[in-house]
Amino acid sequence: MAELSAFNFRPGSSVLHGLDVRFKLLFLVLISVTSLKAYPVSLSVLTLVLVAALLHAQRSLKSIFKAFRYLIVLLAFIFFARALSVPGSAVIEFKAVSITREGIYHGAMVCWRLVIVVLTGLAFVSTTRPSEIKAAVEWLLNPFPFIPSKRIATMMSLVVRFIPVIFDQARETADAQRARGVDNRKNPVYRLQKLGIPLMRRTFERADKLAVAMEARCYSENRTDPGLRAGLRDWTALFVVICLCMFIVV
Amino acid sequence: MNIIEIKNLSHRFADSTLGLENINLTIREGTFVIIAGQNGSGKTTLLKHLNGLLLPTAGTIRLAGRTVSENLVKARQMVGMVFQDADSQIVGETVCDDVAFGPENLCVDRNEVKRRVSKSLKIVGMLDFKDQKPHLLSGGEKRRLAIAGILAMEPKVLVFDEPFSSLDYPGVKQILKQIVSLHRSGHTIFVAAHDLEKVIAHADRLVIMKEGKVVKDGIPSQLLGELETFGIREPCASRLGMEVPSWLN
Ligand SMILES: Nc1ncnc2c1ncn2[C@@H]1O[C@H](COP(=O)(O)OP(=O)(O)O)[C@@H](O)[C@H]1O
Ligand SMILES: [Mg+2]
Repeated sequence: MAELSAFNFRPGSSVLHGLDVRFKLLFLVLISVTSLKAYPVSLSVLTLVLVAALLHAQRSLKSIFKAFRYLIVLLAFIFFARALSVPGSAVIEFKAVSITREGIYHGAMVCWRLVIVVLTGLAFVSTTRPSEIKAAVEWLLNPFPFIPSKRIATMMSLVVRFIPVIFDQARETADAQRARGVDNRKNPVYRLQKLGIPLMRRTFERADKLAVAMEARCYSENRTDPGLRAGLRDWTALFVVICLCMFIVV
Repeated sequence: MNIIEIKNLSHRFADSTLGLENINLTIREGTFVIIAGQNGSGKTTLLKHLNGLLLPTAGTIRLAGRTVSENLVKARQMVGMVFQDADSQIVGETVCDDVAFGPENLCVDRNEVKRRVSKSLKIVGMLDFKDQKPHLLSGGEKRRLAIAGILAMEPKVLVFDEPFSSLDYPGVKQILKQIVSLHRSGHTIFVAAHDLEKVIAHADRLVIMKEGKVVKDGIPSQLLGELETFGIREPCASRLGMEVPSWLN
C-alpha cells in the first residue's frame, strides 16, 4: 500500500484545503474536460497553474514527481503507440515501422493531457479528506430515491479502512507459510489455496467482530449529516476556474 | 446510587451451551471492578450483556434503574466498550473520522461532533495523530484510539475487555494510566482480566468467575489468597505477603 502514498491526503491550510469538496469535484471534471481541447500554449498555462496550486497546497516538487513514477511506463507506451501509428512524414524509419513527426506531436499532446488530468487528481486527493470525499459521494447519491446513500458511504470508508489490514494479514500468513517451507511446493494452485483459505477465514472473523463493535457504538443509518457548506470563496473559485476553461477552449 | 443491577442473569447460546448461570451483581456508580477468570469463564459474555450486545435468556439487567433491552441505544451510549481486538473496533479511515463515528450515530450536531472529537483525542493524548491512518498506529495507540472512540459518546460506564493483551510495557502503563484517570474523573470502570498483576492495586472490587458463574465477589485484598484455586495467578507481591504495588510507580 505504501506505493500509493503519493496520492494521500496531506493536512494543510491552503485555499484548496478550504474549498467545498463538491466544488473541487466539479473543478476536477471541468479541467479534465477542457484539457482535451487544449493545445501547447494553453496546456502550458494549465500545467503552470496546476503546479502552482500544488505547491501552494504544500506539495513539494519532489513528491509530485514521485506521484508520476508509476505513470511513466503508461505514458511512454501511449506516446510510442501514437508515434508509430499516426501517418505522416517520417523522422526515423526502420524496416516496416516509422516514427512520424505528426505521430510525435500527437503522442506528446495525449501524454500532456493525461499529465494534466493526473495533476488535477493529485491536487484534489491531496487536499481533500477521505471523509469529505465520502460526504460528496453521499451528497451526489442523495437525489436518487432507491440508492441507500448513507450505507454506500459507510461501506466506502470501511473498504478504505480495511484494505491495508487485509493486505497485512495476507503478508503475515504468507510469511508464516514460507517459514514452514511452502516455497518447496511448486504447484501454484496448492499454494493459492493454502494462502486463500486461512486469509478468508480471518477476514470473515474480523468482519464479525467489526459488526459487533459497530453495534456497540450505536451504528445507525440515521446519523449526523456530513457538514458540507459552500461559501463566497467557493463561488469565487468557480468563477476563476470557468474563466480559465473559457480561455483555453476559445 | 447503583448504576448496574444484575438479577438472576443466565445466558444460553444458540448451540445450547450455558454461557452464564444465575449471576447477581450490584455495582455502585464510580466503582472500579475487575472481572477475573480463566479463559472461557464467561467474562466477555457477561460484559456484552451490559450494553445489550447479548440479551439475557433469563433474569434482568438494569442500568441506572432501567432495563437494558428497553432502550438499547441509550444502553450503548451509557456503557462504552473497548474490545480485546482494538484493530477490528476501528472503523474510520483516519483517527478523527473514527472518533466521530459514535457521536454521528447518535445524530449529534456537527459542531458538537467536532468538539467531542477534539476533547476525546485530547484526553487520550492523541490530538497530534488526528489525520493519521489507524492502520499505521502502534498497538497501544490503537487501543487509545478505541478508548477515544467511546469517550466521544460520553458514557458513564467504561468496559475494558482484556485491555493489556499484546501490549508492551510502555503500552500497558499508558493504558493503565488512562483507565485510572478515567476512574478518577468519575466513570464506573469494568476490567476483564485473567492476569491481575497490572490492575489489582487500583480496583475497589474483584469479581471472580468460573464456568459462567460468579464464584467470589469482594474487596480485592481479601480475595488474593484464594485466586489460585480458580486458575488465576496470584500477584508476586501478594505471595510474598506484601501489598501489591501499582504498576504506575
Ligand atoms: N457465540 C457462542 N456460541 C457458543 N458458545 C460460546 C459463544 N461465545 C462464547 N461461547 C462459550 O462461552 C464460554 C465463555 O466465553 P467467554 O465469555 O468469551 O469467556 P472469557 O471472555 O472469559 O474468556 C466459552 O466456553 C465459549 O466457548
Ligand atoms: Mg474474553
